[in-house]
Amino acid sequence: MPPENKRNPWEERLDAALGVAASAILFALMLITFADVVSRYLFNWPLRGAFEATELMLLVLIFAGLPLVSHADEHVTMDFIDRMLTPRATAALVRAVHALCAAVMFFLTWQVWIKATRIAGYGDTTDVLRIPVGPFVYFMAAMIGLAGVVHVLRVFVPGTLRASQATT
Amino acid sequence: MAEALTGLLAMMVLAFLRIPIALAMGIVGIVGYAYMRDWNWAVAFATAQTKIYETGRNYTLSVIPLFILMGNFVTRAGMSQELFRTAYAFIGHRRGGLAMATILGCAGFGAICGSSIATAATFAKVAYPPMKKFGYADYLSTGAIAAGGTLGILIPPSTIMVIYGIMTETNIGKLFAAGILPGILATVLLCLTVQYITWRDPKAGPPGERMSWRERFATLEGLWAFAGVGVVIIGVAKLGWLEADDAAVIGAFLVFGLALVYKGVTSVIALFTLVMGGIYGGVFTAIEGAAIGAFGAMIFAIARRTLSWKTLYASLVESARTTSMLFLILIGALMFAEFVNITTMPGELRDLVKRFELHPILVVAAIMTIYVILGTAMEELSMILLTVPVFFPLIVHLGLDPIWFGILIVVVVEIGLISPPVGMNLFVLNTLLPQVPTRTIFRGVLPFMAADCVRLAILVAFPIISTYLPGMMK
Repeated sequence: MPPENKRNPWEERLDAALGVAASAILFALMLITFADVVSRYLFNWPLRGAFEATELMLLVLIFAGLPLVSHADEHVTMDFIDRMLTPRATAALVRAVHALCAAVMFFLTWQVWIKATRIAGYGDTTDVLRIPVGPFVYFMAAMIGLAGVVHVLRVFVPGTLRASQATT
Repeated sequence: MAEALTGLLAMMVLAFLRIPIALAMGIVGIVGYAYMRDWNWAVAFATAQTKIYETGRNYTLSVIPLFILMGNFVTRAGMSQELFRTAYAFIGHRRGGLAMATILGCAGFGAICGSSIATAATFAKVAYPPMKKFGYADYLSTGAIAAGGTLGILIPPSTIMVIYGIMTETNIGKLFAAGILPGILATVLLCLTVQYITWRDPKAGPPGERMSWRERFATLEGLWAFAGVGVVIIGVAKLGWLEADDAAVIGAFLVFGLALVYKGVTSVIALFTLVMGGIYGGVFTAIEGAAIGAFGAMIFAIARRTLSWKTLYASLVESARTTSMLFLILIGALMFAEFVNITTMPGELRDLVKRFELHPILVVAAIMTIYVILGTAMEELSMILLTVPVFFPLIVHLGLDPIWFGILIVVVVEIGLISPPVGMNLFVLNTLLPQVPTRTIFRGVLPFMAADCVRLAILVAFPIISTYLPGMMK
């Protein structure tokens, strides 16, 4: 997380809250999968619904992480062009890119929201635990929207220009 | 064909303009899809919705965060230090010994970590200072670290293999097994490269301190106990005193216990055997293996007192962010693949091969050449995600082994990671070792790149190296 200049305390709080949520989910994901194997072999008793819980937790993990990635400016980006532009031009380009990112994120929010409305309308639930799926899809849409808001903020308050993060 | 190539070009232009690669792929994918359907935006949007939702809610994909988490835990547990110390004890006194110890250490670390970047980063911290101390030339030490780091994705576990496996519906366990022999080949070739460099320039890699045999074996503490447990467990199972499954479970618990008692190389071997042995033997799936690996790595980090609440949280949140970032790229790439699949490109490539009656090996060689060239300038993960949907149907059509092709893909990614000007491993060293000029890092990696190309040729010519071990799996 960028430690430089002062940020809105709400921004920091939200970042911390999502970070804790994503961490807790990942930790639980590991424990549940581990416990599932152990209980299957030791007690011949696989955890009921572990499969579905894993699916939904993965979904929450990925999308709760999205605003965090945007906030930390960690989306994989190619930065060749920086060497050809003046720092001022680069900064302007970065702002424009954030504006575009925000637009794309809001567009995706809209699309996923449509999907969520449809799924919630059918009253879809998971097979074993009967967890309603709709709220999770609304959550996806909300988190993509939040990432969009982060990009809007970045248009006005630039973050650090950093080399893109490692994927491999 | 023209549409797909235009799409590819458009994506490259957007990425060049600093637009995140995931979004560049997604935008071109959606627009291209709508274009192919006569500007039917409703269909394109519906496809995008489905791709996002299905990628988000997919049990198989949970393997990704778990292996990332395992890598983060082992990095924090300080296992790289222990591996380097052991390799140093055995070969440090030879010419170029520390550089070879770095490569062996990386290979060992690769067996418990699935990331090339993480491997290179941790060895930049662990192996560079001692090499500096013994007067190693910077070009040799950084070259060895950068090249050694790429073993992280060849020796299982491997993020790239997981992603390739998911995209092409190839068995991840088999891909992991396939990486072992090529990984050993790679380690040998990289060590030979170090020998060649120090033969040309002996001052680049002077010998380190010689250790007594007693000191050397002290670093292997616990290996005998570990081997003993292995022999007993396998023996009991073979004699039929215990069900194979029960024996495996008891073995797993004993391995956990031993790894807590003995530090160093033994625990690395134990963790690797536990995870890969379990997946290879069909005791558990790759996803479960990843969870066991992450859990085991966490326990090891706790046992080494390197895991506080703070570092636990840092490992988790970092893994979560990496996961999220990877998934966004994956969704973008899947959308792009959806577009490419409805263009004429896959079919036309097939016709091209048929028309000229190209030998399959020639086709593979051509694909590999394209990858090595692309890899110098592109970010590797997106390169793979973009191109595999195009090339994979061709490979299947030619009747080639998808597992073998997967290993070749990993090797071209490795080469891409260390090829200037755009190689992530070089960037990592550049960031972590600011005192070494970029030019030195670029120069140092060239002989290792040459060795990697030789390895690629060997693996293309002898598929059996990649397919032998997975062929033995049930």
